[in-house]
Amino acid sequence: MIKSIELNETPVRTSKNFNANNIKINDIEIPDNISSFYNIDITGECSNIQVEQENNDYSLVYGLGNFLNEYSKAKSNKELNIIVNSKTPKEFILSFNFDENNLNLIENIKITANENCKATIIIKYKSDHNVNAFHNGIIKTIAKNMADINIIIVNLMNDSSNNFLSIENTLEDSSKVKYTIVDFGGKHSITNFYSNLIGNFSNNIINTIYLGKNNQLFDLNYIAELRGVKSNVDIEVQGALKDTAHKHFKGTIDFKKGCKKATGNENEFCMLLSDKAKSLALPMLLCSEEDVEGNHSSATGKIGEKELFYIMSRGFELKEAMKLMVRAKFNRIIENIKNEELKEEILNEIDNRLD
Amino acid sequence: MSKSKVKDIDRNIYDIKNKDEYDFKVKKGLTKEIIEEISEQKNDPQWMREFRLNALEVYNKLELPTWGPDLSELDMNEIATYVRPKSKLNTSWDEVPEDIKTTFDKLGIPEAEKKSLAGVGAQYDSEVVYHSMKEELIKQGVVYTDMETAIKEYPKLVKEHFMKCVPVYDHKFVALHGAVWSGGSFVYVPKGVKVDIPLQSYFRLNSPESGQFEHTLIIVDEGASLHFIEGCSAPKYNKINLHAGCVELFVKDNAYLRYSTIENWSKNMLNLNTKKAIIGKNAQVDWVSGSFGSKISMLYPMSILNGEGSKTEYTGISFAGKGQNLDTGFKVVHNAPNTSSVINAKSISKSDGKCTYRSLVRINENAKNTKSSVSCESLMLDDTSISDTIPVNDIKTDEVEFSHEAKIGKISDKAIFYLMSRGLSEEDAKAMIVRGFAYPISKELPVEYAAEMNNLINLELEGAIG
Repeated sequence: MIKSIELNETPVRTSKNFNANNIKINDIEIPDNISSFYNIDITGECSNIQVEQENNDYSLVYGLGNFLNEYSKAKSNKELNIIVNSKTPKEFILSFNFDENNLNLIENIKITANENCKATIIIKYKSDHNVNAFHNGIIKTIAKNMADINIIIVNLMNDSSNNFLSIENTLEDSSKVKYTIVDFGGKHSITNFYSNLIGNFSNNIINTIYLGKNNQLFDLNYIAELRGVKSNVDIEVQGALKDTAHKHFKGTIDFKKGCKKATGNENEFCMLLSDKAKSLALPMLLCSEEDVEGNHSSATGKIGEKELFYIMSRGFELKEAMKLMVRAKFNRIIENIKNEELKEEILNEIDNRLD
Repeated sequence: MSKSKVKDIDRNIYDIKNKDEYDFKVKKGLTKEIIEEISEQKNDPQWMREFRLNALEVYNKLELPTWGPDLSELDMNEIATYVRPKSKLNTSWDEVPEDIKTTFDKLGIPEAEKKSLAGVGAQYDSEVVYHSMKEELIKQGVVYTDMETAIKEYPKLVKEHFMKCVPVYDHKFVALHGAVWSGGSFVYVPKGVKVDIPLQSYFRLNSPESGQFEHTLIIVDEGASLHFIEGCSAPKYNKINLHAGCVELFVKDNAYLRYSTIENWSKNMLNLNTKKAIIGKNAQVDWVSGSFGSKISMLYPMSILNGEGSKTEYTGISFAGKGQNLDTGFKVVHNAPNTSSVINAKSISKSDGKCTYRSLVRINENAKNTKSSVSCESLMLDDTSISDTIPVNDIKTDEVEFSHEAKIGKISDKAIFYLMSRGLSEEDAKAMIVRGFAYPISKELPVEYAAEMNNLINLELEGAIG
């Protein structure tokens, strides 16, 4: 079906003239008939990581909106329930590969990290160049007391596909959840990220890089609600846009009553590589608790001419110099990825996208 | 352990209530007949009669905002939109009726005129009761008068500019303003004239269950400059009062305008005011804004930087105490190359008061080589207050330097400890920190208004440590 949808509502509205409360996508094709998705690779160390093929929990506090939330429930073609029981760090990789026979993925993944357990879970979405793929996924993480989980989500879909993703996290006492999100692909790439820091001393770190070209649209709506005493959230978003790409970043840090001594930091930087690229940012701080510290900063600009000149004076061409600058900006976040093969794949993708 | 406590603002001066005496008061509600009655009473020219009725139609079509504070307690059927006081427009304070004059005396307006102002306008309910300006400015061609006089004496100029900067369809309360507006000031500063001493208009709403809808229209012509000050207050009643004023500023090429406001409405007031400036080539508008009063405020002054090289600065502070919800901020649209904006917003909230900073920075495709920086700080004085920051930054070109910073939190324990280690008591340390927090705003105000602002903040810290 062809549909126009409004999605990814912010938790608090502002004037509709500001065009920031949600995103409207006109005339998008939403597939009616969803066949099975087989092209999935599961690799890495699977001992003490239990994978069940059933997950009926579709409830979302926010999600991308009623239409896509219900769509997930009705059309899901992959359910995974991952339970982490490992006391030593393990790396577990899930790769979803879109091709002619695997065009539509509506998955629902639940990851539960039990008490004191640790793991790195990599979820990668990649598509062949010539397919129009559709992805609408849910990833839900529950970090039990003292759990330490590292989740890396990599979107390397092509630019004619559509990518929708709802992420939801619950953090219990002293748990740590670190997200690294690499968001490169999709004609539309729309992400809703919600963290509920209910646990005292819980810690959530979110690092995102995005890189837009042509007429790609990125809409990132990140919401962190701090409820636990001395809980902490750090959000860092670094991005670059070329051609006529658009980005909307909406980041909300919400200090709920009782989260004494909680801290929240949000830092967003967008590098504009073209005079037709557009960046909209809505970095919100909501605060009902006095004894907290919240900071946000946001900056937008083009690549520094002095730095470009310096690199070019060392013999690099303009395009190569720009690639170096973007890679340097992204490097701090990419360094979080310890899997060398994946890191190399991401760096190559940056180069390809900036060619 | 007893905790330090910050008292609410002492409002004794502002709460002086005069008897609700008037020459004419329109019946409550908002109908075509009421609008026609206002036009009749004000002897509007035909274009204004039609303008009002059209604005009423727009008002009826537009919805209430779907964001911001809850306005459901506003019932226009309970508001009288036009109250003419028992006084004509005077040019001497001696001619102003005694009770009205006493009110303005206590607010310090005639005294300020003598000491530090080039001209004063004073509005009581729906009409201006006093207007005067220094002779030398009149000789230089400066016009400072009430809007009603301006419509009659400068019809072309007014018709050319009236609600062109803030069109009636901007939002519901602008449309309401267009339908029922009354009073306010008109200022025209001719080309090249520098008005070094400020002009001031003071708006006082005395009548209960009524609204004030003054219209301020300022035109600063090419190369001219002006500092305009606006003050507002009202006594507290049990039922809702409404303020939906409108300020339109036209600042032409190479001109400069500083617009300073201290709003101190009573805590039964819904303050839904709209202010906008259109700024020409190499011109500048600086806004200085202090919001202390009202039950609910929705106030976001706006600069539209249409001229190449134009600039704007906003320096604002809000203080929300018990029962107050102050939703304030700033909007700027960069619409030409080499423009710049600096926004510095602060808020203090206490005793379940809520402060929200809401803003828009929009840098359009044609605004190459634009610079914009935003700084926003919120201070929460106790664990029942609420503070939100909701900024939108919409950047549509790459030739920009844009940065935004915001901080939220309580008074730093370390700072208190440091000051106490230098011999200050906890109360004095906190008071010093809060005054220091407000200082960047108060230093931008004329001395008398900085003193008024300090009175308004009136932070008395008491209690013991430990």
